[in-house]
This record gives sequence, structure tokens and C-alpha cells, in this order.
Amino acid sequence: MKPAAAKPETLLEVSHLKKAYGKKQALKNVSFALKEGSSFGFLGPNGAGKSTTMKILAGIVKADSGSVRLLGRDIARDPRAASRHIGYVPQEITLYEKLSAYDNLVFFGQAYGVAGNDLKRRIGEVLEKTGLRDRARDEVQTYSGGMKRRINIAAAMLHRPKLLILDEPTVGIDPQSRNHIFEMIRELNREGVTILYSTHYMEEVEALCSEAAILDQGTVMTHGPLGELLERYGNRSIYLEAAGLAEPPRDPLIRGFRKEGSGWILETPSVDEAMQHLLGLATRNRWSVKRLEVVRPSLEQVFLTVTGTALRD
Amino acid sequence: MFAIIIKELKLIRKDKRSFLFLLLMPALFIVMFSSFYGGSGSGAVTLHAVDQDQSAASRELIGRMDRAMEVKLDDPSSLEEQLGKIRKGQYSALLVIPAGFESGLKQGKASSLQLYEDPSAQAALAPVQAILDSISNQYRDQKLAAAFAAMGAAGTRADQIMASPIHIESIPTSSDHLGYVDQVVPGMTVMFVFFIIITMTRRFFEEKKTGLLSRIRSTGIKPLHYLIGMWIPFVLTVIAQCVVLFAFGRYVYGLKLGDIAALAVIVVALSVAGTGIGLGLSFLVPGESAAMVITQVISMGGAMAGGLWMPSYLLPKFLQTIGLFTPQFWAQHSLQNVFAHGAHTGDILGAAAILLIFGAAGLLVAFLRLPGFLRSAAS
Repeated sequence: MKPAAAKPETLLEVSHLKKAYGKKQALKNVSFALKEGSSFGFLGPNGAGKSTTMKILAGIVKADSGSVRLLGRDIARDPRAASRHIGYVPQEITLYEKLSAYDNLVFFGQAYGVAGNDLKRRIGEVLEKTGLRDRARDEVQTYSGGMKRRINIAAAMLHRPKLLILDEPTVGIDPQSRNHIFEMIRELNREGVTILYSTHYMEEVEALCSEAAILDQGTVMTHGPLGELLERYGNRSIYLEAAGLAEPPRDPLIRGFRKEGSGWILETPSVDEAMQHLLGLATRNRWSVKRLEVVRPSLEQVFLTVTGTALRD
Repeated sequence: MFAIIIKELKLIRKDKRSFLFLLLMPALFIVMFSSFYGGSGSGAVTLHAVDQDQSAASRELIGRMDRAMEVKLDDPSSLEEQLGKIRKGQYSALLVIPAGFESGLKQGKASSLQLYEDPSAQAALAPVQAILDSISNQYRDQKLAAAFAAMGAAGTRADQIMASPIHIESIPTSSDHLGYVDQVVPGMTVMFVFFIIITMTRRFFEEKKTGLLSRIRSTGIKPLHYLIGMWIPFVLTVIAQCVVLFAFGRYVYGLKLGDIAALAVIVVALSVAGTGIGLGLSFLVPGESAAMVITQVISMGGAMAGGLWMPSYLLPKFLQTIGLFTPQFWAQHSLQNVFAHGAHTGDILGAAAILLIFGAAGLLVAFLRLPGFLRSAAS
């Protein structure tokens, strides 16, 4: 009999964070938890409070109230000790552009407390991971945007953090660099690094994360494993494409519909029953059906359901 | 902290703008001001001369004049050209030793030398005339001694008759008077030390604007370590700046460096003063433009009041008083004491302490303003 897999420990626990900048309440109530080794997406529209939350976790900004516990210890009590376990990748490319990538990594490695041969070894490893070993001695200002983003991430990895916080790390880069960054993050996660990934791109969270929290106007609206969120908030629907079908089919199980390409998205509370009804309709009406499939709920649907569709500043 | 120091030194090395302000411009100013002061003849007496006699006697006369002033011999065939230079104001005087000078002397006749003068250049002419009169008296004394010898008076008796009843004793005393090199080299060096403020404020605002400061904070580096780590490279830069400029003064203009230990104390104290003020201002001013304006006021205003452009004793009394409250005055004064008046470490400790107080005040302002600066960087 196989022994039961050890339940992952809670690595990070964020409780009731509040933060105001003057009269603006950036965070009203932010609470969530990360399991060790998980990949957690932090979704929210612009101005929701994602970056403020990231900065509090990274020790750059102090919360007005609430707590952040890393491995059971309050990070506010010993920020230096906490920083040893956290790697923070800011939204902006924060590198010394006139220095080489190597010099930047030396600096940040030393800043995180890595030194000597260990630092040299780690720099070699992260340069290999980022695919920039051959350009290590070139000034960062000669790099493309994608290359700069990769070094921006590399600088947060040198001290082998338990938790890597990435604040919108793929802004403004080409698809190849983005893909490379995704691969880097997946590899790190496979190696046991817990990932906290902040973004407003749903597809990035769907591609990388197993859990997510949705933040809006300073409050965590919902959080949990992706599957559960999709189940809880996503509309079940069926895609039907048939020749000559100018209007959506009428059926009591079809609660809503919209045009999608050459077919129709039909929303239904019961996919199995609705499929049977539609197959019956297709047979009776001799439709020439091209596609009939269950449409998985999307995170975008979840996001819009939770946050609403009103425009944000 | 060590990581920050190394990183900053690498960045300073790559900053071409800093090289311009800290080394190239002060060197150019030294050259410019030295040309002005050196060309205005603030020390040496110079006389242009034309020797039309080309004899042993005329050469002996030129040799006597050369011991007392700088004699520049011009081409005897171009007298009109040389006289034209007096008319143009290029020469203040021209001495012509006419042909027949030696033969006249041998025959015991009075030899007439022509001194062409620019009457408007009396200040420059007065010492020339005094030296020529003195040389003329030497020839008279020689003639008298020969006459006494012919009359049978013994050498000592002749000397006693010819001795002046008045004897002037020279007593060297210290003074504030300086050669132009002792004014210009430390003056320009001290003035441009304070331009480090621009480089410092630019660096801090860049770190804040780009988000680097926030990122550095996320690594757990203590704010005080960040402050000191950013400050020390600039102290080292200013020390290097002073070393290079004083070496330039030494090897190009013959500046005498004096007591190196005393010089080192002043340079370190000056570096602390300049960079301490720079650090304080970096956390006090709202932006880079304000920093530029304030740096100009501190550098230029301090240079004027502190006696960097001209010796303090030549300034109006009220400016001399204001100068006492500038770090530039104490730096310049102590450097000149070392270069020109042979001061040692004990003589300049007071001035060094005052410079350190200026630096400490700046550091204190920086320390007190740092939390607010970090908060504004994070938001």
C-alpha cells in the first residue's frame, strides 16, 4: 500500500490586509493562503490593488492593518528573514541598464545574501534557465524587452526563494519571450518553488496556475482552485454549428444564447440533458450539424461574473 | 552595503557626464584662470630688450639685468617691429642697447641706453625702472671704486667711503598673499567638488523613478545600509577628483603640495562635506531640476564668498564675513595654508573639523528624511 502523499503545508497566509494612500483605500480586505509548491494566480482589473498587495508581501510597503505570515512567522517582525525566502519580480523592469546582466545579477545576488562561489554557481544556473548565458557580459540597455524581462526574473531567483512573487512579468513582450518565461515559471514550480503570479490576463492564469484569487476594488472577491471557481461561477454551455441555422434552437433547457463565429453558444443549467434535447432536435429537423460540443467555462467568464462588466478607470 | 558600494562605483565609472563636471571642466577652468593670472604678470618682472652692440659689455649688462628680472631679447634688425608692439600695447617697455655701448664704456664716456616706454603702463614700468636705476648705480659704484683706486685709496678704505649710511634688513613674514597657482588650483578644485551634488541627486531620483529603490528594499537591505552604501562611492569619487586635479596642478603648474598628511586630512574632510551636503539635498529637494538650481547657488555662491575665484582678503568685508559660513572658505583657506604657507596637520585640524560638521549636518538631514523618501518611492 502506498503511503498517503503528505498534505502540502501552508506557506503564506494573508489575513485581512488593509492599506490606504491618503484618502484612497487601496486595500479594504485582502485574505488568501498559498500552499507550498502551488502556483497561485492573482487576478484583478487595473487599480484593484494587486501591486499594492505584492509590495506588502515583498516588504516594500507596510500594511495599515492585517498580517502576512510566511511559514507561520509574521513577516513584519523580521522582514530581513522573510526576504531570504521571497523573490520579488516587480512590474517594471528594474535593472541597471548601464551594467551588464552579469553585474546586475552579482548585485542582486549579494543584496539577497548570496556570495562567493555559491553566487557564481547560481548566476550560471539562472543564466542557463533564461537562455542568456552568451549575452551575460553585454549591457542590459542593449537587450530586447523580452530579454530584459527574463533577467528581471532571474535577479529574483538567485537566493533560491521558497516563494516567487511575479507582478505582471510579461507586459509588453513578444510571444516567444512570453512562452520562454512561462516555461521558466513551470520549471521553477516543478522544482518546488511556490509561485504567486499577478496579472490581468486570464489566459496566463489558466496556462500557469492551479489556484487563483480575484481581487476587485481592494477586496478578494473569491479564491480557490481553478476548477472550483469555474464550476462555481462559470456558465455551462454548448456550442452548436449547423448549416443554415439562422436562429438559435428553442428548448426549455436553453436559458441564454449568443452568436459565436458560425454557430451559437447555448447556456444551459444541465449540459447532459441539453445535449440529448439538441441531438433530438437535429434529427427531427434534419440539421446538417458541423459541431456540437460542451464549452468549458472560462476564467474570463468567472472574472466578469465576479467583478462585473462596468468599465474601470 | 558592500554590494551597493561596488555597484555604484561601476555606475560612476560609466557616467560620462560626471567625468565632464568633475574632471574635465575643473581642469579647463584651471588652465583658463592660470592663463589669465599668469599672463597678467602677477609675480615676475619682464623686460624686452634689443642688443644692437652685440659685445661682451652688452652681454654683461644683459646678464646683470637677467639676475633681477626676466629679460627677453628680440631681434636687433626688427627694432621698428618691436616699437610697433609698444604702440599696440603688447609691450610696456623696450630697452635698446645701441651700437658703440662697449667702446663708449672703454673710453670712459657715458653710454646712453634707450628705454622706450608705454606711459600708461606705469604699474608694470615702475619695477623695471627701479631695477635699471639700481644697475646704473652699480656701474657708477664700479667707476668710483676705480677712481679711488687711482687716487691711492686702499680697497677697504674705498668701500668704507662708498658704503651707504642706510642698511635694510629683510625679515620674512607669513602673509595671505599667494601666487596664482596657489589660488587657482585649489580654488577650482574646491568649486567643482560641490558639483558632485548634481550627480548624487540624479542617482537617487533615478533609483526612485525606475523602481530600483523599491526592489532593493524587497531584498531586505536595511535603509541605513542603503544610505551609507550609496554615499561612500561618492566620497571616494571626490577624493579621486582632488588627487587628479592636485596632481594636474603639481605637474603642469609646479604647485607645491606641502605636507601630504595634512593635505589628505583636508581632502577627506572636503569630500565628507561635499557629499554629505549632496546626500541631504537629495532627500530634501522635490526633483532634479530643483537640485540643479540649488547646486549652482551653492557652488557659485560659495565660490564667490569663499574666496575661490580671488583671494578672500581682496573681497569686500561683508563677503568675507559671509564666506566664513561656507565650506568652500574653510577648504580653500586650509589648502592654501598647506600649499603656500607650509602648514601641517595640527594647523588645519580646526578647518577640517568645520568641514566635517558641514558634512555631518547633511548626513543628518538625509537620515531624517530617508523614511519619507522610501515611502514616496514605494507608492
